[in-house]
Amino acid sequence: MSAIEEMSSNVFGATLTRRTFVKGSGALLVGLSVPAAFTAGSASAAGSPATLDPSQLASWLEIRADNTILMRTGWAELGQGSASGAFAQIVAEELNVPYAAITHVVVGSTDATPDGGLSAGFLMKVPGSTNPEPFGRGALNIQRVAAYTYQALLGLASTQLGVPVANLTVKDGVVSGGGKSVSYGQLVASGQFSLTIPTTGSATVNVSPSAVVGDNLTVTGTPPTKPVSQYTVIGTSQPMKAIPGLVTGTAPFVADIRLPGMLHARIVRPATLGSTLVSVGQLDKTAYPTAQVVVKGNLVGVLSPNEWEAIGAAATVAATTKWTAWAGLPGSGNLFQALRSADYSHVPTTIGGMDPVTGKNSTTGNAGAALAGAARTLTATYFAPYIKHGPIGPSITLADVRSDGTVHLWWHGQAAQKLRGRMAALLGVSPENVFVHWVVGSGHYGRSNGGTEGGEADAVILSQAVGKPVRVTWMRQEDFQWSTQHQGMLMDVTAGLDANGNLVAFKGDYYAPGTGDDRPTGALLAGLPAGPNASIVTGISNEWAYDKVPNVLEQGHGTDQLGQPSSPSNIGLRTHSMRTPTHRQENFALESMINEAAAAAGVDPIEYRLRHTSNQRLITVLNTLKSEHGWQTRPSPSPQASATGSTPVSGQGMMVMLRYNAYWAAAADITVNPKTGKVQVQRYTVVVEPGIVVNPRQLKRITEGGSVQGISEALREELTFDRSKITSVDWVTYPILRMTEMPKIKVVTISRPDLNVVGMGGEAPNGLPQAAIAAAFYDATGKFARSYPLRPSRVRTMLKA
Amino acid sequence: MASTLKIKVNGLVHSVTASLDTPLLYVLHNELHLHGPRFGCGLAQCGACSVLLDGKEIRSCVTPVAAVSGKEITSLEGLPALWAKERGTTAAVPALHPLQQAWIDEQVPQCGYCQNGMLIQAADLLATTKNPTEDQIRTAMNGHLCRCGTYTAIIEAVQRAAKTMARGSVK
Repeated sequence: MSAIEEMSSNVFGATLTRRTFVKGSGALLVGLSVPAAFTAGSASAAGSPATLDPSQLASWLEIRADNTILMRTGWAELGQGSASGAFAQIVAEELNVPYAAITHVVVGSTDATPDGGLSAGFLMKVPGSTNPEPFGRGALNIQRVAAYTYQALLGLASTQLGVPVANLTVKDGVVSGGGKSVSYGQLVASGQFSLTIPTTGSATVNVSPSAVVGDNLTVTGTPPTKPVSQYTVIGTSQPMKAIPGLVTGTAPFVADIRLPGMLHARIVRPATLGSTLVSVGQLDKTAYPTAQVVVKGNLVGVLSPNEWEAIGAAATVAATTKWTAWAGLPGSGNLFQALRSADYSHVPTTIGGMDPVTGKNSTTGNAGAALAGAARTLTATYFAPYIKHGPIGPSITLADVRSDGTVHLWWHGQAAQKLRGRMAALLGVSPENVFVHWVVGSGHYGRSNGGTEGGEADAVILSQAVGKPVRVTWMRQEDFQWSTQHQGMLMDVTAGLDANGNLVAFKGDYYAPGTGDDRPTGALLAGLPAGPNASIVTGISNEWAYDKVPNVLEQGHGTDQLGQPSSPSNIGLRTHSMRTPTHRQENFALESMINEAAAAAGVDPIEYRLRHTSNQRLITVLNTLKSEHGWQTRPSPSPQASATGSTPVSGQGMMVMLRYNAYWAAAADITVNPKTGKVQVQRYTVVVEPGIVVNPRQLKRITEGGSVQGISEALREELTFDRSKITSVDWVTYPILRMTEMPKIKVVTISRPDLNVVGMGGEAPNGLPQAAIAAAFYDATGKFARSYPLRPSRVRTMLKA
Repeated sequence: MASTLKIKVNGLVHSVTASLDTPLLYVLHNELHLHGPRFGCGLAQCGACSVLLDGKEIRSCVTPVAAVSGKEITSLEGLPALWAKERGTTAAVPALHPLQQAWIDEQVPQCGYCQNGMLIQAADLLATTKNPTEDQIRTAMNGHLCRCGTYTAIIEAVQRAAKTMARGSVK
């Protein structure tokens, strides 16, 4: 017989239960069997719970006898080190243990992590938030869990050492007081305890034809957290835990996971985005003896235990498969006119962006009246093309729909719970039957934040059909043609200047299809439940930086996905968010117009911005850019500007972006060869002040990386499509920046622990180069670059304007 | 039709069964279960699938398995042993090639998908150019695409590894 004495106490809103065992009693299991960090989980997860109980500490943290810690978060690791690095720094900080003591970070898997996590904006505190902690979103859950745990451990240590909590100190996971000490590991081992943590909401997601509900599990209460002034782990450059596995080839990706009986599949894609199936082509069983064809609606899969055979067989089946014709797209050459003439009248207009300080609506004054009364007005239309997320690894999913009614997916993406809900809806089963196992994988840059990144439904449907595990790999062309893209935008802007050239009014109207087409491609083709359509609303992502401008109105005008209303397959040009979604386009228009106004006023662009803001954070960033870039203070265009000749001309340009409590400024030095139209970026500087810098080296690395993506977008990237299909199909038809084309990139980070805020660090760098390079183009040539990419053909046209 | 053939990978001879036109990548992946080379494009455009063939970087996604018989293939997993061989050391094979250590020290990878090819191409470069300039590194790596934009970190890591290798050590 065992006897257990149980005592409960309140720890700042959490409940600490201590169980004291009488000698001879049986052991009480603590913790769960879990995969190691960044492994794919066990191939047969049978018997493991479908969902962790988020109110139990063991679902979040496991403190081991050797004082090491395993932590779990439903947020995914996307390669920027937010979930596996910064979250671990936060836990280490609150628990007073070294970063290295967090030996395992389990992320983004529905049966191994407790919360949900639309994995974007991991750390940031939104402007206007009154939370006492410096963090927001996903970081706040794990910070509060660690803070409750720390208080519980102090209480346990106080009892064990017989020393009041107030007289205890903790260093490296060892609690000391009254001349005695005890480690966390000893505290946990010597007396079983459990901590019940207060939460609201649900990690589990339910998907209906009209709505996606859930993924809002929040740890509540305000346990005491460590004051920012006492931070020793946050603010230091800690290594990313995934990197050794990535450089040695030991980290398994989805392609490295094999299940018994697994088949490889390739999909025979419709001839156009809107096509439906007429007849399935012939499979040559002599050439491809192990291959089979599975058809579900318009989804045609070719499967084989041999991957190369599946690829070859799919190609031959595709050659003779017949599809209906469809030509409902405008063609990328007509995109400007298509966005101009689209119907926006059935979609509510968004009015106003966000004030970067208060978080309230940024609309102020009466822009219409002020423009009518302005001494001078400037008007311009800006244009951004559609772009691809462009992961280097195409979509890949392994699915196993089992005879016991469970469904397992091994996948890399941002939102495991959303994927789980979508697959449950597709199959008509409970989310409790669906297990999504997160696996390390190719970056998607926002493509999977609704759960799906590509072929998940393909794999589930085919696995169900054949009763075996199926791995679906998209080919390169398929990934370009059948994944989502980030939408282009048409932007009409008017600025009003007074007699001194000061900006007195700004009006921006931004036109684009809405975004967020998370419907699984396979579900759409198979005619199975796919969840709601993408939003048709265009929001305002700009945060208004120039508080001295008295009249501001920005309006977002949304419409349907191009082609979708006329598409028999219900698939058009599918849009999705991508790092700095819609902000990159809208801010390009905003900052380009500020540069045009500065030029019209004959004032240096940095000086012009300083005239229009009293925001000290912005002022600091602007002055830092000026000194760190070696900015030449003068108005644009350059005295040497020229739009003709075969001698390259040089220019400098700059811009700013405010994004969720982070302040960014960037400057570019470029050369333009007017004759050839070739643009080269020579030098590029980014300054960021995101409040507290959590990991300086990592912020520098991800800013360098985002800068490359943004420069690539400014110079190279433009999705092409004809009336029927996407015609950017590979890295030749969709070129991205290469190493020889990259400028010297300088990143300057400014940490402000005194602000008690962590801003968004991960994605704004993608949205900075476009406006800075466009401004440098004007400086060099005296001609406006109101659209991008600045490919030679577009440049030559601009220079003739 | 499937044939049985022998290929030498990371110093070991393997007997594999595959049709002769099967790209080497699928054999390395599905038969030998190597994780380093990755499928990125199947078109020799991105470099995620790179391996060394007799010391020179090739794209395993477009190289038929029949073309590599009798030659030495080195994948990411084989880089530490390659470094031990280049040094002519009889000591135990180190856990990491200096490039892998430099990739960790410089915190190069983000998503990591392309880094196999980056490391393989850098190993090819440093085998022939012991102390490359930044321009030489950029030119050598230009056929490899990284969407996360880790190019700056790669340049710094190659330079770090070159210094280490000149000393004949790992770190």
